[in-house]
Order: sequence, then structure tokens, then C-alpha cells
Amino acid sequence: MKRYAYYLSCINESMTKEVDRSIELWQKDLGIELVKLHEGTCCGGSNLEYVSPKHFALVNGRNIALAEKMGLDLIVSCNTCLMTIRTAKKKLDESPELKREINEILKKEGLEYRGTSEVRHLLWVLVDDVGLDTIREKVKVPLKNYRIAPFYGCHILRPSTVLGHDNPVDPTSLDQLIEALGGQTIPYTHKNRCCGFHTLLVAEQESLNVAAEALQEAIESKADFIVTPCPLCHTSLDGYQAKALKNAGVEHSIPVFHISEMIGLALGYSAKELGIKRHIVC
Amino acid sequence: MTVSTDQHKEGKKDVTFRVFRFNPQVDSKPYFDDYTIPVERGVTVLRSLNYIKEHIDGSVSFRAFCQAGICGSCGMRVNGLSQLACTTQVWDVLAKSREPGIIKVEPLRNLPLIKDLIVDMDPLVGKMVHYSNWIDSTMPEAEMGKKEFLISEEEFLRYDKATDCILCASCVSECSILRANKEYVSPAVLLKSYRMSVDSRDSMHEQRLAELVKDHGVWDCTHCYRCQESCVKSIPIMDAIHGLREDAIESRGMKDTSGSKHAEAFMTDIEKKGKLIEATLPIRTNGVVWTMQNLLPMAMKMIMKRRTPPPPPLVKSAKGIKIFRAMFREMTEHVKQDHKSHKK
Repeated sequence: MKRYAYYLSCINESMTKEVDRSIELWQKDLGIELVKLHEGTCCGGSNLEYVSPKHFALVNGRNIALAEKMGLDLIVSCNTCLMTIRTAKKKLDESPELKREINEILKKEGLEYRGTSEVRHLLWVLVDDVGLDTIREKVKVPLKNYRIAPFYGCHILRPSTVLGHDNPVDPTSLDQLIEALGGQTIPYTHKNRCCGFHTLLVAEQESLNVAAEALQEAIESKADFIVTPCPLCHTSLDGYQAKALKNAGVEHSIPVFHISEMIGLALGYSAKELGIKRHIVC
Repeated sequence: MTVSTDQHKEGKKDVTFRVFRFNPQVDSKPYFDDYTIPVERGVTVLRSLNYIKEHIDGSVSFRAFCQAGICGSCGMRVNGLSQLACTTQVWDVLAKSREPGIIKVEPLRNLPLIKDLIVDMDPLVGKMVHYSNWIDSTMPEAEMGKKEFLISEEEFLRYDKATDCILCASCVSECSILRANKEYVSPAVLLKSYRMSVDSRDSMHEQRLAELVKDHGVWDCTHCYRCQESCVKSIPIMDAIHGLREDAIESRGMKDTSGSKHAEAFMTDIEKKGKLIEATLPIRTNGVVWTMQNLLPMAMKMIMKRRTPPPPPLVKSAKGIKIFRAMFREMTEHVKQDHKSHKK
């Protein structure tokens, strides 16, 4: 059983509780154990870094230091949390001065940021550590009749100087996971595009247009569902779907799954157990 | 339309360029023309287009000048990605082509099309004018020509990278928000605005910022990082956008716009609970009226699905919040000190 520290994303503790619930169901089946970091705090959601760059470094240096104390890598299941924490890590690793400043403060909690733990997305752990062959072996209900649109989202790909796992122009890790679970990925030009989430409250019309375009392509390609590794993309594409599509004059709808739910289904768990009924579009 | 070699020598291949064609004066809709030509290793997309124009079809229209990645004229989409034709190697593109041996060449997105691969740059220039993308000197006219402006290395480094922009509009073509609304300021203009705003010789900082915080301005960026990823000069464009936002908050406060209020919520909530309090985020960003008008139907659906975020009192603080808060506040003191010494 390989162990990891698991970062608790704010949205997975409130609106998208089904993510962590479904991971808990199958983690042992795939030989991994995610230890929840209850002391971790909000990463700042790609906003804190310009509100206060130093608080941003402190907060996320601390999040990583908590994992380092346990001697584990920090695993994240929200794209924006991933990008945000990795950005902080890069800044700290490149600036001994900033590292010294936050460590001076972190001492109070008996913590030290050293830069020894990696910050990784759950999807990367599945593809690289668990491995596609193991996943293939564990599948009980192959998703063989499903045409699936892989929506990667931005912050698992860009900026590539911070993320660097997939080629941002032509990512493959999610496609590989889908295929290992027996599903069929469809060619999907929006796979590396934006869901519009981050401006839903600031530039709503623009965000809805962005979301509608991604939904529309999946619908027109006759996909059975969209799958995404990011709960924020899920919220934009599922929660705001009706509004976005109404805006665009499209009458159809399409379900959107989290990767954790798609895995759960293939491993034989029911839609109810996985919390899929909590989606706005079912 | 083919000029073909008899045999494939090593380092030479027949490549098909599928070129977007549209002449609004003649054509009712756009179409693609295929040109197959022999291409040697080391040849760029621009040289291939020049070859096609010279030897096969003189009517293919594109813009190009320096052929060395300096002038920014030949921005176009090569296999879907906005880049400079003159610095893009045919063999590099071929290696990643979905359809073997075929390279698709299209005009930049998000700007009006003039003909074939040529887009109209006027809307971009118009925005640069609108957002005052130049420096109006702080030096009184009487002193001009008599005195030097000395710029420290530290200051120059703040905008050094931003000055690398050659206005090729690749970032404009890739921008998610511009795709949704052509009125959006656009990444190239935000980059230039940043470059001017951090220049100590500039006197228009406040005026430029006042325009940037309005609708379609700096707060409408959705952080997709497509601009930065496509930049032909590898300029960290998002750093400039973040820089402008930081500047807006510092100069204009956090109650200024929905964007700054939204950003403030993260800072406040993290200090308070270590967690984002999502339930009240729409109200804190846009007020009660907007929230009721815009989000009520969705909120009802979310309640039915038990998907609503918990009300503020029920948001559980992160474990060990007391010591976290003390550390957070200690950093606030550091930041205050930084500001003081910065002002000195």
C-alpha cells in the first residue's frame, strides 16, 4: 500500500463532496492510501498570489511542509489547487530568501519547508504510480460502451513551466486512464481548453460562453459523458450547464463525471455509492 | 496543385500544406487549398509559404517581413496553434501532426479576417490606444533634453521581459475570454499596460488603471494561461496580469470592483478559517441583488441535490487554526514593514 498526503480542497469539502467520497471507496482497491491533511488550508485559488504574494508563499509552503513532515508526497485532486501549490513551491525553491522568511514563521508550528515533497495530481499518481496495467486488471465493469470526452482543464496543463506532466497542446494522461478503464475517448478539441470557472462571478456572460462551447462540442460529437480531473471544471460544466446552454440556444444536456467517479464505476461501485446522483445533470 | 520530388532523399519530404483561403470580395465562404511541396529539414513554415506563392499559387496571401522572429508580422495558426511562421520548423510540426504529412495553416483567431492568412490588427491597436499603452513623461517640459532619467537595474528587471513583446498577436488568438467577447482588453494590451505602469517615468498610472478596472478589463481574465503558453517570446504574461491586479488593489483598495472583492474574500477567509467560505462568495463579490437575480434558480437546484456549500457558521476551520492565524498575522506585519521600507 503506497501512502500519500492528501490535500483537502475547499470545493471538495462543500459543493463537490462526491470527489473525496468516491476516492475513499476505491483507494485501497488500487493499492494506495491517501492520508487526509486536516491541518491544510485553502491555497488561495489562483487569487492569493496577487493579493499578497508573501501570504501566498507562507500558506502553501506550510501546506507542503505538513506533507514533508510525514515524509509523503502531497496529492491534490483539484487542478487549481495543484497549479497554485506548485507555483508556490517553484517560487520557494527558486528563492532562498523567501524560503528563509517563511521558515522563520513556520518554526512556531514546528514546521519547515525543505522542498522534499512533490506536489502531484491524483491523475498523475494513477497513471504513473499505480500504473495502467494494474488499473486494467482491477476493472470489473469495463466502460466499453461509453464514448467519453476528456476535459483536462487548464491548471493541470498550464503554465507548463509549473505543471510539466502532459504536453499542454496534446495531453494524453486522461485519455490513457479512460482507455485503461475500457472506455472510448473521442477526439475532443476542447480537451485542453478552459471551462470559464474563475470568472463566473466576475464576467459571467463570458464564462458561460466558454463553458457552452466545451459542452456543445461534446454534445455534437455524441459523447455519452464528459470526464474531468478538476472539481472546478465540473462545477462550471455541470452546475452552470443549464444556464450556459440556454444562453447558447442549445437544448440538449450532457452528464459530467469526476475521474474518481468514473474509476469507481469501472471498479464496480454503484452510482449511488459514488454520489453521482448529487450532480445537477444526471 | 503539387510539385513533387521523384524520390525521397534523406532529409527531404513531400509535405502538404492545407491553407485556409478566403477572399471576402469573391468567396461566399472560406475553404482550404492543398499544396504539396518538397521540404528539406531546416525549412520553416514561412519559407514553405513563400515557395508556394512563388512557384504554385501567387494568390495565397499572408503577411511577413523580417523572417527572423523579430517583427511579429507572420503570426498564424499552424496545426491549430498560434505561432510565428518564420520561427516554426516544418519538421517539428510534422512530428506532432495528427494527419501524417499534412500541416494545416490558418489565420489568427479573435481578430477580423482580411484575406486568407491576413487578419486586421486595428482592433488591437485601438485597444492599445484606449488603455494608453505608452509613457507620458513625468518630467516637466522645460527640463526635457537637459536632464537624464536614471532607471535602476532593479526597476528595469520588473518590465524587462514585457519589453520583448513583438505584438504578433499569438496570445490574442489563443485567449479564452476574447473568444467569448471581442470587447475584452486582450492579453497583449494587459502586458503593455503593465510594462508602462511599472515604469517610474510614467505619469499616467492612475488614469490607465482606472480604465483597466472597468468592464472587459484586467479583472475579466480567467487565468487559463493560454496566452502565456503560446507566447513566441516566452513572456510570463500572467505575471503581468497579476502585477496589474496587485497594483489595482494597492492603489484603489479592495472594495473597488467585483474582481477585487472576489480576490479579497480569499485573503479574509483564509485568515479567518483557513478555508474558503463559498456560500457567501457571490454576495460578497456582487451584492445581494445580483446574486438573487443571477443565481437563485441554480441555488434551488443545488439545494434539491444537497450540493449547496454550508452557511458560514458551519464551515469547519482547518485543524490548528489558532496557530495558523497567528502565523498569517505575523506575515501581515512583514508585508507592512516591506511597504514602509519600499516607500522610503
